[in-house]
Amino acid sequence: MPSRLPGFQPLLTLLTFLGLFLYWLTADFFGYEILAEIAVFAILAMGLDLLAGYAGLVSLAQGALYGVGAYAFAYAAATLAVPAPWAILLAIAVSGLVALVVGAIASGVTGIFFIMITLAIGEMGYEFFFKTPLFGGDDGFFGIPRLDLSAFGIDLMDPASFTLLLLLCVLLVFLALRWLVASPYGVTLIGLHENSHRLRALGLPVRLYKTTAFAVAGMISGFAGALLAQHTSFISPELLHWTTSGEILVILILGGLGTLVGPLIGATVVILLKHQLSAYTDYWSFWLGLFLIAVVLSGRNGIVGALEELCLLALRRGKLRRQGDAAG
Amino acid sequence: MLRAEGLTKSFGALEVTRKVSLEVPLGQRMAIIGPNGAGKTTLFNLLAGEIKPSAGRIFLGEREVTGLLPNRRARLGLARSFQKNNLFPKLSISQNLLLAQLAKSGGARCFWRRLSHVSAPRRKAEAVAEQVGLAERLETPVEALSYGAQRQLEIGLALATEPKVLLLDEPTSGMSPEETQRMLALVNDLPRDLAVVIIEHDMDMVFGTADRIMVLNYGQVLLEGTPQEVRASKVVQETYLGGGGEAGPC
Amino acid sequence: MVGDAGFWFIQILNSLQMSMLLFLLSVGLSVIFGLLNFVNLAHGSLYALGAFIGYSIAQASGSVWLAFATAPLAVMAIGAVLYYALIDRLRNAGPMNQVLVTFGLIFVFLDGVRFLWGVDPLGVTQGVPFSGRVEIFGQIYPAYRLFIIALGALVYLLLHLLLEHTRIGAEVRAGVDNAEVARCLGINVERSFLLVFLLGCALAGLAGAVAMPTFSATLGMGVSILVPTLVVVVVGGLGSLKGALIGSLLIGSTLTFGQVLVPDFAGIIMYALLVIVLLLRPAGLFPVRS
Repeated sequence: MPSRLPGFQPLLTLLTFLGLFLYWLTADFFGYEILAEIAVFAILAMGLDLLAGYAGLVSLAQGALYGVGAYAFAYAAATLAVPAPWAILLAIAVSGLVALVVGAIASGVTGIFFIMITLAIGEMGYEFFFKTPLFGGDDGFFGIPRLDLSAFGIDLMDPASFTLLLLLCVLLVFLALRWLVASPYGVTLIGLHENSHRLRALGLPVRLYKTTAFAVAGMISGFAGALLAQHTSFISPELLHWTTSGEILVILILGGLGTLVGPLIGATVVILLKHQLSAYTDYWSFWLGLFLIAVVLSGRNGIVGALEELCLLALRRGKLRRQGDAAG
Repeated sequence: MLRAEGLTKSFGALEVTRKVSLEVPLGQRMAIIGPNGAGKTTLFNLLAGEIKPSAGRIFLGEREVTGLLPNRRARLGLARSFQKNNLFPKLSISQNLLLAQLAKSGGARCFWRRLSHVSAPRRKAEAVAEQVGLAERLETPVEALSYGAQRQLEIGLALATEPKVLLLDEPTSGMSPEETQRMLALVNDLPRDLAVVIIEHDMDMVFGTADRIMVLNYGQVLLEGTPQEVRASKVVQETYLGGGGEAGPC
Repeated sequence: MVGDAGFWFIQILNSLQMSMLLFLLSVGLSVIFGLLNFVNLAHGSLYALGAFIGYSIAQASGSVWLAFATAPLAVMAIGAVLYYALIDRLRNAGPMNQVLVTFGLIFVFLDGVRFLWGVDPLGVTQGVPFSGRVEIFGQIYPAYRLFIIALGALVYLLLHLLLEHTRIGAEVRAGVDNAEVARCLGINVERSFLLVFLLGCALAGLAGAVAMPTFSATLGMGVSILVPTLVVVVVGGLGSLKGALIGSLLIGSTLTFGQVLVPDFAGIIMYALLVIVLLLRPAGLFPVRS
């Protein structure tokens, strides 16, 4: 969607990445933990932004695909002793394939029914991992190894290094998605959101494009899952629960839909707030809920939308004042 | 080029289209006229694949398309404009036209190049914009355009797919007399190898462009013939053109 | 065990009881969805509120019956506040925004309940009506569960009478069928919306209050009942009383018998049912509008 303030979002992106990098430079152990959480959720929210913000497909299954990626990596790397780089690729491939199937099914309906079908299929995934002893059931999966870059002299068991790797992954996903949305495929997804009926009448196999968009977002979620599995070395079926998918959506909305920098800012703000506010109050969900309701009712596009409007307002006032000075 | 045999559509007990057959060779302009509720847009929806016929068959050239989805028919060369503007409101005119081409040509699957670096579709989009009279405002978002300009883009989207068969549903609806004249000129300037079917109420448009006219009433074909035959027909005059001998704008 | 008729009879009763609780929750949500085109994810939270408020009233007054009578009214009052503050504004806001705002409400209510009642499950053990056991067809069964079944059936009958034989009911049915035309006919559709919403909230509160003595009021109860309720609404058909009943029976049996026969797959079967219905008959099994 064309922004009314060209250059604003790239500037915001630069500032956010710089801010995160500076935070990394000055972080202690807890800082690394927070950054890692921000990184994983930023990737998840960016994947959902492609799907919901650009293509207009609101999915509550992203948590399930995140979990599928995490479990695929865990099973491959820990149980099957597949080397971590291949296990990551496997996780992406598996979650992409599952997402392809889910997308093919869900693309048959629209609106609230689409949201519900993704919710239901996500819950099926949750039940599956909860009940299946093969993956540890509700006890979870322990002992997941991390990528080993010691051959390059990098110790990824050091939290600082691993967190930096996670931040670089965020940058990688961001750049890849920026490129994708500027491609013909990306513009077509925007067209799907605007008027899928007309696109179909013009010759586009709409279901196919919805399904592939779902698959791409699924792969991104799976990638986030593989990263999380390595970070915490323990995963549980909670990852697949619809409330996780809900959290990803909330982060995206609070940051700003259809902007790619929105999910990044959303993840940063929400997770930082969660950690800061938890120190003062036990009831930070309450405030998050209120904040979410306020953001939606305000009609602005999250933090990015609000900041953009503020800047536009300030610029306009500045221009009027300059015109007034010149005239007077 | 476009052929339909015995098209019938019922919604429950209501028969909206009754055994309509038509044949429009390449190069011909056919106008479909009839009172409101005669089933004209339903006929277009059947031809384009938006709804399934209860009976009958549809052909594009030699190829039967009766069971095909609208996007398959569009790929085979059928394009359609809508009675109510059906555009991409937040996008610009050039983005709208680009999307139309990407949808038709399959270029939409390209995810590895930037759209701004793909020049052929952009040139084609500019050409179509020129054709429909929108060349000056390519970057304006559609929601900022006047109704008449939006209507021109509505036709432009269908043209951007380089169709062999073009269905225009009331292209001049809501237009001023000048805009209608411009639309008339546009339709007459369309490539001669195109088959065009127009639903219209404006008789200037109808008699100014059509080689053949089909009159529909209650979902049935009342008469099909040359403009002279239709103008002279007593039955048509009574049911539609409003008695007397003169055809006037409805 | 599987061949024991008595065992199966008990399971049938269990599934009826679960179905009736689901029915109380889903009928409100279904008609709200059908009439207002509004998806209220916070409906489960209202169920939880009914349970906790019912607990407090029972503890304070010593009368569980009083709790059954007044908790629904309290939840209805909360619903009225929600309606005027949020629901009315979001009626045309599109599914995503409705999902988001009601999701936010879930957070607010979860923490609100935790703040007011703490984290432990709460239940009354004294003064609970029908607390004995009954013998039916040779089987011993808790009388309270029979009470729940009877209550559900009674509510169905009352709602049926309300919808089919009163003017307000006719107005609601007209509004669900076609709100625009109903308005043109002079029906106060806005008032129907409000009444339906309030009644739905009251029923959710009643379900919670009634569930509390046997199942306790727990923090997670609203979230965990939400998805099965949504499944019932979609499978049964939007806006339909009959659909809510049949959907509840279907899902209640699936969960109960599934739990006994294939415990690992009961939930999965329920979700699969939802997916199949959404794909083949998105309007549900007994839709009011097709």
